Amino acid sequence: MEIFILAFFALGYLVLAGADIGVGMTLPYLGRSAAERREVIAAIAPFFLGNEVWLVATGGVLVGLFPELEGELLSGNYTLVVTLLLAWVVRDMGLWLRGRLPGSGWQTFWDGAVVAGSWGLALSWGLLLSHVLLGMEGPVAVLPALVLAALFATHGLTFAALRLRGVLRERAAVLSGGAGHGSSVGPGVDVRTYALTSAALLTVGTLAGLQLPLHPGPAGSFLVPVILVLIPPLVAAQGWVWWTFRHRVTGPSYL
Amino acid sequence: MDLARLQFALTAGAHFLFVALTLGLATLVAVVQTRATSTGSPLHMRMTRFWGQLYIINYAMGIVTGLVMEFQLGLSWSGLTEYAGNVFGSALAIETLVAFFIESTFLGLWIFGWNKLNRWAHLALIWIVTLTAYASAFWIMIANGFLQNPVGHVVEGGTLRLVDFGAMVANPAAQVAFLHILSGAMIVGGFFMAGVSAYHLRKRTDEQDFFRKSLRIGIGVALPATFFAASFGGMSFETLQPTKIAAWVGSPERLAEAQAQMVARFGPGDYLPPVEWVQGGGLTMVILFVVMMLVATVSCVLMAFRAAVRGFRLWHGLLTLMIPVPFVTMIAGWIFREMGRQPWAVYGLLKTADAMSPVTEAQMRFSITAFAAVFSVLIVINYWLLARHARRGPGAVALGDRPIDAPVPAPTF
Repeated sequence: MEIFILAFFALGYLVLAGADIGVGMTLPYLGRSAAERREVIAAIAPFFLGNEVWLVATGGVLVGLFPELEGELLSGNYTLVVTLLLAWVVRDMGLWLRGRLPGSGWQTFWDGAVVAGSWGLALSWGLLLSHVLLGMEGPVAVLPALVLAALFATHGLTFAALRLRGVLRERAAVLSGGAGHGSSVGPGVDVRTYALTSAALLTVGTLAGLQLPLHPGPAGSFLVPVILVLIPPLVAAQGWVWWTFRHRVTGPSYL
Repeated sequence: MDLARLQFALTAGAHFLFVALTLGLATLVAVVQTRATSTGSPLHMRMTRFWGQLYIINYAMGIVTGLVMEFQLGLSWSGLTEYAGNVFGSALAIETLVAFFIESTFLGLWIFGWNKLNRWAHLALIWIVTLTAYASAFWIMIANGFLQNPVGHVVEGGTLRLVDFGAMVANPAAQVAFLHILSGAMIVGGFFMAGVSAYHLRKRTDEQDFFRKSLRIGIGVALPATFFAASFGGMSFETLQPTKIAAWVGSPERLAEAQAQMVARFGPGDYLPPVEWVQGGGLTMVILFVVMMLVATVSCVLMAFRAAVRGFRLWHGLLTLMIPVPFVTMIAGWIFREMGRQPWAVYGLLKTADAMSPVTEAQMRFSITAFAAVFSVLIVINYWLLARHARRGPGAVALGDRPIDAPVPAPTF
């Protein structure tokens, strides 16, 4: 049961936050002008806070249920985890700060931070997963890391195709054959391609998880029931967000 | 090890500054929004948006420093999580799920759901966000209280195991400290609101009514909070470790006595915390507390007089200057508490020196340089932005604005 809980939050993070990371990576492609970029960011704005907490929860589950693994995993990949955290901080601050001042220089700068942070996150995850999954380290790991980063970017595009309209949606749908067809392609296609990239991320995450020494600590006997009771309200809270923002983006958001 | 401690101290200290204002401002915003929602007062809705936006600008830094702090435990202090994670890890796990997860999810809904959700649902969101922020502080203090005064565990096979969850939660070293810190956060929030309002009153900007009301709310919260903070602070002296007390008192006899007791229990070694830090932190906290209580009391009297609220510019200036004081007091209190725990990571059980991860000095240098560089730049930008938005006043608030309609893209068929 401990392993199920860890997998639930870790895989939830990969699929959900994978989408906002991917949108950040493809921001220069999706949004060609400042106004377009702002609308692209509106696609992920209501979600990124609720998405990244899945990793916070994963960290909490690790320290509570797998304290030994937590120490090994984090301190054993010290430089990589530090890079990942820095990229995360830069990406988030880019999102938070870009809309707070009107100047175009300011906004372009923080858009750059969003793009750089998103790439940093995707590549750090790529390197980390390559290390856990394939045992690869150093320059040789760059190849699978790039493949995984490409998967994040594709996943971001499929999410953007679900959320955006018009020309922005067409750009996002370029890989799923949506370009050129415009609105004649129904949302069904967008949902299916999103499901496909989600499944790919889930597979990578599951395979990497199977390589880890998952020996739960003794706190589970008490902590597991508590967490199992908490999961339904947590999912319901997230469901409320998804329901509120189920429509396609019609304009810029607060960010 | 010094680098690892410095890195954690810088991250935690930065985080503490931002969460203190978050806790205080969230409460004030929730109260003001309650008034706005129940009476439909446009003024209170504008207050909600103005103070709410300052709260969010501050929150962003709180969350990113918090993320780094959470993962730093496993990064640099894996000795601590491996030894005691089975006990205090439970509190951290509950904190991430009950508090952090819900708080962030609903804060996103509060920010982006403005003008989209039912107004009572929207009001419920800010209250949930506020209460989960309290819950977050509560569970973090349970974890911290365990490190200060470990209870509810047994030592088994070289690591700790939780046997009595109730005892860990009821730990007086955690409970009293939580209430002390919560009161401190209300002082931070109250003085912030009063100080920003006083700035506008002094500059005679257009929003006199708006800031007169805000100033009264700020002082009205800060004054009682100082009394609560003092009571819980006084109570927490009962739960202090003998070595911390000895360092605070500072007399050579007390120090020698505490040291001798510890040697008798744990064998030879140096068990005294750095006396200068403990005394410096404690004294700064107490002196600044007296200053804050005096200013809050006098302000509470002055704000009863309309003329003073309108035109006593010296007082306005003083209140604006007071904004940083509660922050410094919080940090001083934190230094007193955490430096006073040394040389222990878990008091009486695990020394800080044994809690470190097996990482190289080069790795440590890389991470502390990178974190310090990124965070110092971001913190400066964030405080500058906070000051700028505070100065610009409620006319320029983006939060809760009606969404600007983008040009409809041309159909492609």
